[in-house]
Amino acid sequence: MFADNWKISLRQVRRLLILDLFGLSSLMLPGILSSLTGADGLFSLGLGAAGGWVFLWLIQKNLQNAEGDYYHYMKDTAGQIAGDAFMVFYYLYFVTLCGFVLYQVTTLVLTWLLPEGSYFWVSILLLLLAAYGTVRGIEGRARVYEIIFWFLGIPLLLMLFLALREIRTDYWYPLMYSGGGDFSRGTVAVWVFFLPLTAVLFLKPFCRKPEGLAGCGRWALGVAAALNGVIYLILLGVFGRNTLGVLKRPVITLMSMINLPGGFFTRQDVIMTSVWFLALFALMHTGVFQSTLILKELFHETGNRCSMWISLVLAFITGMGFFGNTFLMEVYEIYQKWIVLPGMTGILLILLLAFRIRQSGMKKEGMEREENRE
Amino acid sequence: MAVPITSDLQENISQFEALFSDCADIKKRKVKVGQNLKKECYIAYIEVSVSSMEWKDSAVGKILQTLRELPEDRLASYVAQNVEDISDSQPFATIEDAAQGMLTGDVLFFLEGYDKALKIPDKGYPGRGVYETESEKVIRGSNEGFSESIKLNTALIRKRLRSPHVKVKESFAGKRTHTNVDLVYMKDLIHPGMLEEIEKRLGEFEIDGALDSGIIEQLTEQRTYSPFPQFQTTQRPDRAAMAILEGRIVLLSDNSPVALILPATYNTFIQTSDDYYSRWEIASFTRMLRYLASFLAMTFPGLYLSMTNFHTQILPTDLLLSLAAARQGVPFPAVVEIILMEVAFELLREAGVRLPGANGNTIGIVGGLIIGQAAVDANIVSPIVVIVVALTALCSFAVPNEEFATAFRILKFLFIFLCGYLGFFGFLVGTLGILIHLSHLESFGIPYLSPFVGADLNGYRDERDTFLRLPLGFLRKRPIYTREGARTRLKFKQQDKGKS
Repeated sequence: MFADNWKISLRQVRRLLILDLFGLSSLMLPGILSSLTGADGLFSLGLGAAGGWVFLWLIQKNLQNAEGDYYHYMKDTAGQIAGDAFMVFYYLYFVTLCGFVLYQVTTLVLTWLLPEGSYFWVSILLLLLAAYGTVRGIEGRARVYEIIFWFLGIPLLLMLFLALREIRTDYWYPLMYSGGGDFSRGTVAVWVFFLPLTAVLFLKPFCRKPEGLAGCGRWALGVAAALNGVIYLILLGVFGRNTLGVLKRPVITLMSMINLPGGFFTRQDVIMTSVWFLALFALMHTGVFQSTLILKELFHETGNRCSMWISLVLAFITGMGFFGNTFLMEVYEIYQKWIVLPGMTGILLILLLAFRIRQSGMKKEGMEREENRE
Repeated sequence: MAVPITSDLQENISQFEALFSDCADIKKRKVKVGQNLKKECYIAYIEVSVSSMEWKDSAVGKILQTLRELPEDRLASYVAQNVEDISDSQPFATIEDAAQGMLTGDVLFFLEGYDKALKIPDKGYPGRGVYETESEKVIRGSNEGFSESIKLNTALIRKRLRSPHVKVKESFAGKRTHTNVDLVYMKDLIHPGMLEEIEKRLGEFEIDGALDSGIIEQLTEQRTYSPFPQFQTTQRPDRAAMAILEGRIVLLSDNSPVALILPATYNTFIQTSDDYYSRWEIASFTRMLRYLASFLAMTFPGLYLSMTNFHTQILPTDLLLSLAAARQGVPFPAVVEIILMEVAFELLREAGVRLPGANGNTIGIVGGLIIGQAAVDANIVSPIVVIVVALTALCSFAVPNEEFATAFRILKFLFIFLCGYLGFFGFLVGTLGILIHLSHLESFGIPYLSPFVGADLNGYRDERDTFLRLPLGFLRKRPIYTREGARTRLKFKQQDKGKS
């Protein structure tokens, strides 16, 4: 009403994006980087983040060109068919991302919190919670993560600080040892983990100061990359390359090893799991929200919540598919590396190019009209 | 259809008496007036609401005395010119309106040859007067509390805010109770949209009786199914005055000592009056305690269950062993144990509230000491569960607002259920669910979690009065509820004062 709070602030966007980028990457990247690049993983991380930076630059350029929301910008720039095709591409990305994160968060719950629980029911419960959050729009979602940000951040930083004393610096060597192929694979993997930045494209109509969106993205990317770097160095220093490569969720294993001064809690892994649970839930929620939004635009849906339920069902099916199915995991990895990454970057480039062409065409037309008038 | 009052006194009397037939508590009298006592007037009042008709001292007595000294032909014009203007008197053109006027507790006056009825103020209905508040106790500050009389309550606020900008908008609720409802606010501070909104909501329902502000609260709140109250309640005039100074609106209802304050946020429920009367260090410390208490009042039994039933690895071995030893011989699972004790505690609480003062205290002693000890001795519950339940109760008592604390008391059972069956995962699901709920809950357009969310709307200044209450010198601006352009509340005449 009068508080003008139906649009989200830049602080909310920043925190939301940090959680989106941090959760999955910090959980999975250390293992991937360690097995591919060893101590050079830090450089892969830096290069991957630079890739994310370039991706964000493309997003920013397109956002500057767009007058309204991104969907209409795509349609106006590349035509109705291409616009719809791009939207379908984005939809598939977000809905599969949601399914994949659902699988990750459910597995996390079943491994660390509820070993005797049912994958099916835990997934359903999480999706229902995401649906409840989605129903009330983006403001509610942004507020949740704005609130919990420091409740997650402070314990995490404290635990990482306490973990410093466990580090063996000789594990950080040898440097410049990994092969070019492995190094580039590691870099691409990092880049892929920063692709949820795509959500920035769709936030323009919801943000109180849309001109600051790209800046928020950069901030989030910087924080997520820095945190990942610190975590990677700590994990590498504690476990060494070989052990780190085989651990499934090394960062949570690390949390179970840290001793708090005073010794009231002997193991913190259960409590610290909540950091990743909530961060992964944030990303899953982003997936549900964005895919619902895209489907709504595609079908011009206004009142009912069909889009949301369709997206939830598809995410659930995807999540169930990943359960115990290594083949599908490999397919998903290929899809992310060879279709999503080039596709997303390609779409942004095409749109920039098409916009330039359209603009120069309009300029030419205007000049011709002026010449005719003269 | 409304019956108009005419100059014919007999006609008016018959209409009025027909309306109030079989009402033994309404006293009606005919009195002769004029120099020669040739004209008649008629007064009606509710028996106990008028000060035993001490004519000399009461307003109506003085009027009658004057009317006896005037010639008969000047009586009507005198009343029209002089009496209508005296304080709180009110002329009515219809019998029904006049009857309503009398029912507010004043004297109704009819005069032969005068085509209106006048309400003349008197002492009104009996009331309690100003008493000490029973809830929202403070260590420092006034202990005056609201009473059942709306006039007294508005006066208590006015006493603290002696400004012409304080406005009192009167309306009525309840078709049959015709209860006075006052909206008290500072005209230059409130956001106009807020006043319009509450007026709109008050006009949206018609109920037969509004016997307490609680009925109005429930009928005007937006999210009926939320356990969290969307109006702040208070029995303290200083709290109400403080809210008005922040650009909020206070809703007073006749016959209710509880005022409603709107808008309300999580933060306002945690604040108390003496947060601002005490030094900032202790105010901040107690406020942080209250925040922690509000969280633990809802989650503590659930957390205990998830730690002892699911994640025993968190606790040191010694502690774990002593917990296990304490539970030895208890036949119930921990969930049942906790539920048993919580239900017993809620029963004790309810019994303590319903019983008269001294007996209520006895219930506390009987319940807390005797039943608790007996339950432990009989191995029905373990001593640790008694401690958990007692600590949870302490936490819920530390929340300053009863209605707000009730939300946590109810949600506590949800957490017991979730944590009892899902462990720490249940705790996370419950916390996330409640956070999502609270994050989209609003009270008159203000996010319930403000200023933890959307603080940018007021330049992040409202965050200075949340977990920490910074020194008063830093709280120079009013919160978000105040209209823009009127948010400065503190200025120092010398620069830099108050910063150090």
